[in-house]
Amino acid sequence: MRIAVKPDPSEPRRVVDEVERFCLERGLSNDIIFRFQLSLDELLTNVVSYGFEGVKDDPVITVDIRLGDADIEITIRDNGQPFNPLEDAETPDISLAAEDRPIGGLGIHLTKSFIDTLAYERVEGFNCLTLRQPLGAAGTEESPDEH
Amino acid sequence: MNIETSYSGDTAVGVVSGRVDSSNAKDFDGELSGIIDGGATNLVLDCGSLRYISSAGLRALLIAIRKTNQAGGGLALCQVPENILEVLEVSGFVRLTKVFDTVEEAQASFK
Repeated sequence: MRIAVKPDPSEPRRVVDEVERFCLERGLSNDIIFRFQLSLDELLTNVVSYGFEGVKDDPVITVDIRLGDADIEITIRDNGQPFNPLEDAETPDISLAAEDRPIGGLGIHLTKSFIDTLAYERVEGFNCLTLRQPLGAAGTEESPDEH
Repeated sequence: MNIETSYSGDTAVGVVSGRVDSSNAKDFDGELSGIIDGGATNLVLDCGSLRYISSAGLRALLIAIRKTNQAGGGLALCQVPENILEVLEVSGFVRLTKVFDTVEEAQASFK
């Protein structure tokens, strides 16, 4: 399934809802839904808020969802500024006290922590970021019902 | 996102429900600031019905933690769902605010 995304701050919430519907219809776990909701809110908010600063081309943003036998893969593509969140984003110091903490910088850190496999490439003027999560992820094993 | 707030002395208990994400974190910030600026130096947030919180929501939470600290009080969380607790752990927020099982325990921590 492909979702076309407009460069608008209201779009991350809409995409998150569509991805949730996709996952629920296919019986995927709440754990997987939570991980993608969080990550897509973070990543798409970055793209629609900052990705097209100084970019003259018309913005094109898409989200593709592919459900395989053993995993689910979501790819975000945009023709904004080249940005590799896996390398270009600073790692926040999470040991700082409340008063010393910078406001922000946690989104990519959360995404890296909550998504099993992330891969970035710049292809023909597009940032392509793929998020892959195995079906039956860690969260289901930790469910109290399983013990 | 919705917050239902009740007061007892200078402690406020806010029951947060729904999602706190980039689209409504400003509203979340505004509501928390309103509660604290209204005179509640201690703030308990009941997260039992919170579905998720993204980094934009954590920013608002950080501002509320600072404000209650500055006012000589504090902010405590309770009934935090497991996946949201993981967000708090990964982001280091478990060091910035106390997390309790029940509303009563969180309230008692301010006495």
